[in-house]
This record gives sequence, structure tokens and C-alpha cells, in this order.
Amino acid sequence: MMVYLLCLVLFCVGLYCVLMKRNIIKIIVGIIIMEFAVNLFFVLVAYRMEGRAPILSPDAEILNMVDPLPQALVLTSIVIGLATTAVLVAIAMRIYEKYGTFDITKIKELRG
Amino acid sequence: MSKEHEKGMSIIVKTITRLTVGLILLYGIYILSHGHISPGGGFAGGVIIALSFIHLMLAYGKEVALKKLSKGVASFFESIGALLFLSIAFLGFTGGYFFLNFLSKGEPFKLFSAGIIPLCNIAISFKVGAGLFAIFVALVLLKPEKGDKK
Repeated sequence: MMVYLLCLVLFCVGLYCVLMKRNIIKIIVGIIIMEFAVNLFFVLVAYRMEGRAPILSPDAEILNMVDPLPQALVLTSIVIGLATTAVLVAIAMRIYEKYGTFDITKIKELRG
Repeated sequence: MSKEHEKGMSIIVKTITRLTVGLILLYGIYILSHGHISPGGGFAGGVIIALSFIHLMLAYGKEVALKKLSKGVASFFESIGALLFLSIAFLGFTGGYFFLNFLSKGEPFKLFSAGIIPLCNIAISFKVGAGLFAIFVALVLLKPEKGDKK
């Protein structure tokens, strides 16, 4: 139970980073931390005590193995996270080109 | 070697990179080729192979890395990976259906076994490695347009 709470703490660290920081790069890092906290939670849910990886091996027979389904989901999630991170970094670079700053409070093109 | 590469990081980083980048590439190929008998596979191996080239680019600057693997070659390998995967899947129609494992399965837990799965892993690693390297190159080569700044 404790490790799940630690996952929640890690998620909250990322959420704090997204909500309170002003630098776009730090916001992107916060998004990545949140994403990996969720991935870690999935992998921990799948863990069984004394479990081995769910792969056949020639020497040992497997008595107790971890759940492979969340691991497959997390693998897909990592790939999608990579793509979204690349898009976020590209957008951040475009913003820096246009405004010359990474500070979100200084981007004031639309002020009324 | 370091005299002709004035750009990039310091001599310490360059020396360590020169020693380790081949090992990283070999480790990626190992993960890739044992994908059907141990954890790993096409995606993980492709990512490690791409990371070896990204490592080279970070240490030596973009010219050296682009000389090893240029933008056009990366694009070519990415397309070849997707086409290879699709053609392996279509070759299953020779025996009956899509993604049929038409090669002989071999003996379990040997390196040359499991039919078409190692070939699929190689195709995926081409796609993933070249694609990841191309993303990094696109982010590096993105130049700001002049005279657009307020």
C-alpha cells in the first residue's frame, strides 16, 4: 500500500511542477514526471510477490509470475509519451523563436 | 582526431564518447537480436541504437553525427523498416493468412528460432531507431527565421 502512496506523491510532484512553474521547459519536465508516475503505478499493480518475468526460460520453471498485461500497456504508453514529448519540445522551440522567452507570463500577444 | 572536431563538448566527453559509443551500439544489437528469447526486442533495441548516434551528436556536434548517418539515410531506413514489416506480414499469404509464421520454428531458446519474429524485430528496430534519430535531428536543425522577432 505504501508504494502506491509514493506513486501518488510522485504524481503530485509533477502536478505541482506543471501548475506552479513559469518556465515552459520545467512544465514539460513536470508532465513527463506525471506520466512516469502513472506508468510506475501500473507496473506496481501488476507485481506479484516473488514473481518472475512472464517469459519461458530453459532452466527454471516459473511458479509465480507477474501480470504481463499492464507491462504491455506501459510499453505502449512509453512510446506515446515519447511522441507527445517531442511535440511539446517542438512547440516550446517555436514559442521561443516567436517571443524570445520561455517564461509563460511574458507571452502576452493576446492581451485585451 | 580531436583537432578536426573543434565544435562539440570538451576533450573528456569526446574521449569517453569515442570509447563507449561502439559498446552502446553493440548492446543495442544484442538486445535486438535476442528479442524473441529474452526481455527486449525491436523497440528497445532500436531506441538503444538511436541513442548511440544521439550520444555521438551531443558530444561531437551535428556535423560528425550527420556524416555517419545523414538525414536522407535515416529517412530511407525508416521507410524500409515499415515496408519490411508489411512485406513480412504479407508473405504469410503464401501459406494462408496474414502474419503467418511461415518459416520453421526451430528449437526453442536458441538464437535462430521462432520463425519470422526476429525478422519482425529487425524491421521494427530500423523504424524505431531511424525515427528517433530523425526526431532528434529535426529538433537540432530547427533554425529560427530571421526578422520574425518583435
